[in-house]
Amino acid sequence: MSVPGERLVRALLALYPREFRARYAADMLDFYRERVRNDGMLRTWFAAVPDLVANALAERFAWLHHEAECAPVVARMHTRYREEHMSILVQDVRYALRSMRRRPSFTAVVLLTLALGIGANSAIFTVVNATILRPLPFADPPRIVDFTHEDPYSSVSEPEFWDYERGVAGLEKLAAYSTPSIVLDGGDGDPLRTYTARVSRDFFDIVGVKPMLGRTFTPDEFSPSTHARVTVLGHRLWVQQFGADPRIIGKTVQITGTPFTVIGVMPAAFTFPDVEASLWTPWRMNPDSLWTRNNHYLRLVGRIAPSSSLAQVRAQVRTLDTRWMHDFPETYSPDKPLTGTVQPIADYLLGPTRPFLLALLGAVGLILLIASVNVANLLLVRGEARRKEVAIRAALGASRSRIMRQLMTESMLFAAFGALLGVAVAWVGTGVLVDLAPGDLPRIDQVSVDLRVVLFTIAITMLTGVAFGLLPALRMRRGDSADALRDGGKTSGHVASGAARRTLVVAEITLAVMILTGAGLLVRSLIQLRAMDLGFDPDGVMTLQVTLPRGKYNDTTAALFIDQLVSRTRSLPGVTSASAVDNLPISGSDNGWSIMIDGVVVKTIAEAPSARPEVVTPEYFRTMQTRMVRGRGFTPLDRAGAPFVAVVSEGLARTLWPGVDPIGHTLKMFGAQSPWTTIVGVVRDVKLRGLQKDIPGTMYFPYAQSGQSAYVTPTSMTLVARTNGDPTALAPQMRRIVRSLDGSAAISRVTPMRAVVGDSIASRRFTTLLLAGFAALALALAGIGIYGVVSYGVSQRTYEIGVRVAMGASAASIARLVMREAAGMTVIGLALGVAGALVADRLIRSMLVDVSAGDPLTLVSVVLLLAVVAATACALPARRAAAVNPTAALRND
Amino acid sequence: MTPESQTPLKPVELLILSMLSAGERHGYGIRQDIIDHTNGAIALEAGNLYRTIRRLEADAIVEESGRRAAADSDDERRRYYRLTPFGKRVLAAELERLRALVRLGEQRRIIAPLAARRA
Repeated sequence: MSVPGERLVRALLALYPREFRARYAADMLDFYRERVRNDGMLRTWFAAVPDLVANALAERFAWLHHEAECAPVVARMHTRYREEHMSILVQDVRYALRSMRRRPSFTAVVLLTLALGIGANSAIFTVVNATILRPLPFADPPRIVDFTHEDPYSSVSEPEFWDYERGVAGLEKLAAYSTPSIVLDGGDGDPLRTYTARVSRDFFDIVGVKPMLGRTFTPDEFSPSTHARVTVLGHRLWVQQFGADPRIIGKTVQITGTPFTVIGVMPAAFTFPDVEASLWTPWRMNPDSLWTRNNHYLRLVGRIAPSSSLAQVRAQVRTLDTRWMHDFPETYSPDKPLTGTVQPIADYLLGPTRPFLLALLGAVGLILLIASVNVANLLLVRGEARRKEVAIRAALGASRSRIMRQLMTESMLFAAFGALLGVAVAWVGTGVLVDLAPGDLPRIDQVSVDLRVVLFTIAITMLTGVAFGLLPALRMRRGDSADALRDGGKTSGHVASGAARRTLVVAEITLAVMILTGAGLLVRSLIQLRAMDLGFDPDGVMTLQVTLPRGKYNDTTAALFIDQLVSRTRSLPGVTSASAVDNLPISGSDNGWSIMIDGVVVKTIAEAPSARPEVVTPEYFRTMQTRMVRGRGFTPLDRAGAPFVAVVSEGLARTLWPGVDPIGHTLKMFGAQSPWTTIVGVVRDVKLRGLQKDIPGTMYFPYAQSGQSAYVTPTSMTLVARTNGDPTALAPQMRRIVRSLDGSAAISRVTPMRAVVGDSIASRRFTTLLLAGFAALALALAGIGIYGVVSYGVSQRTYEIGVRVAMGASAASIARLVMREAAGMTVIGLALGVAGALVADRLIRSMLVDVSAGDPLTLVSVVLLLAVVAATACALPARRAAAVNPTAALRND
Repeated sequence: MTPESQTPLKPVELLILSMLSAGERHGYGIRQDIIDHTNGAIALEAGNLYRTIRRLEADAIVEESGRRAAADSDDERRRYYRLTPFGKRVLAAELERLRALVRLGEQRRIIAPLAARRA
């Protein structure tokens, strides 16, 4: 007997947890009926509805948090319910494991594919995470900015810094730094040539990093009048040079002959402004005796005020620059505008590496996609084989969701095992990456697995599992069980799932084209770079940097030292020529100096042309095999006291004396004291800094005259020696010569010239190498994918092929039939891939050298390569199809 | 598990157990008993009542004693509940606890001792 409102009560009862409902719903309904009979509808409702709702929520909450315990009866019910759920999972897992074991080769292929895909991703992500994703070791990095000038100034002068510090209101604090080279007295060991970061007062306040030991500088220590000489050590120097001595604070170190007291040690992560700068010293700037405004050598770092923004700071800098251009016409000429560039510190430190690493991450992402597609394909193929099994299970009463669940469990299990193997791959891979990685990759020494890497791996594993599992599972679920049973799972659903597989293969080819094109473009860029005319021949040349102790040598003795060094090196067996240079090509800096030339009157330094000085000893051009275009190189006769001479680069000659023979003309460093030097030769342009940078106009001075003609005699020179044999074999002998001449001279950068060139493109080579590897992997996976699908298609169509052959089809026409299908997929995939590559490769445009993002040669090669791989991949199944024996094929079915 | 570990009971639980101490009841019967006992001050609704029963059953304090058709009606079989032996001890433990509290209240002259009232 029902009463009014029962339906609503039933609805409300649905709010209760299933277990609770199963036990009490009937009684509660009964309770309600009796209540309505006794108290009437309205009164009952008034009390019952809030009660039912509130308690339903409370009960749900209790179950949710497992606070609810159940009565023995309920517990049994509940346990059964839960057991059912658990046991389904356990069953599914067991079942999946069994079917994995049953097909070891299938399982191995799937797991290997996944392990490679997931492992490569994790490894690359580990590196990307450590180098560019992890926050920089600064306090509030987004507010810290790097600040310098655009070319031709490319740095900041002392008066400019002084004025910026006061004039840019949007900057809370501003500090300047430079990184001069120093020689650290090694005590018992050899002296160490390294760099110090000479920083102004607010440097450590701006970066906001606390020292690991001791303290950083106090304001007093920046006073120009202080006599305190203090230094803060970098972590690496502290470990390598001082054995991580915990009582280092208060000890004295000799920096280029001056004793400094160690007051602090910075943590390992802090290597700003430069990994090479191994310690910090205060720059005691004296506002009363600043260098000239045109002497640009500082870089700035600032902290944006809380009330300001980057845009405001930039606007304020622009205003100042414009005003200075107007106020100091003798320093800044209108055709060389002063442009301050302010950028977030992360862009400055990580910017150059970011596109390379992101390209790698993108490429491995595509690899994982291809791997997923391949596995999906394999599962689809196997799914076809399992149609009957699934149909039987469905016929026995398995619900579709239940079947789907079982298939997804299998996919997730594959993904999980794949991930486990992938972690192993990633572990090895990360180690290899770190070893291969170029030293200039920021923070490469801090690569480690952290929570983010773990989460990333879990996320891509889940995604992969779903990605490759979903399609086959959906396909399988949709199948009509009756059909499948009837024709033995041979042909039903064949057309539809064939289409799905073909789509996957098309996707695979598309992705492979994209990766291959990217890799191809980078490889071409690398080839262009390697083939680039350096202006010298780096092969067979050994280099070694020598730094003379300051104060011990004057111009004459220094010249004598270098002369002896070079001539002894020249007499080493196998050495054909030797010389010395102050700035080695490729790795050199690009500091231009203002000069004056004969016949041109300049009133201010702003009007003066600039050129980059290079100080060399005789035979330098012969040793580097830099061709003399005109005139002569230096000889031992170009010594102190002899007429001042210089050699200029072709580029400089073209700029300063267009259409005129420069030999016999004169030039000099800007300033009254410098002597005029006569140009005696012109040489080829030499790549001085990096391969991709423009070559500044260069002037060469003989070392023996450099004290006068080039302002100063360099105390640090690089010895270069050309040999017939292995250049590295010269290193020990060259060291010995330096030691025997002066034990207190510091030796550094002992490197073959070829390696100097190589190191300058190490990041690019690293990326290109990896990307090429990924591309090969993608190609292989795509080939396997095509082979798998075509070969499966042939095995499915044996009957049909048998009929065709029986009807008189020739072997060639059968092979054509098979090839045609593959060709269709390939053409569509190639077309999509080329389109995708044209879009995606824009992303790597900034990394390309002398190659356009849509380079036809690369695209055509990639397309041909893939076409060949596709043809090879289906040639085998096509042959098999052509060899089908009609009697056997027809009998079997 | 000791009976004491189940105390103190919630007021609703104590009421339900006290009603069941007279014998088995079905859900609506429990409600009626409580209304009678409290002169209508407390009337349980289905959600609250059965949630409490679920908890008491889970702790093995009450149990189902069987199903019977309602006296007045067709074929509606309803569950009857009764105290388990453990449930009786829980109720006793709770009453002992309350008695101690009552004693305390008497000593502190918050309520008059029964004996005194009788006198």
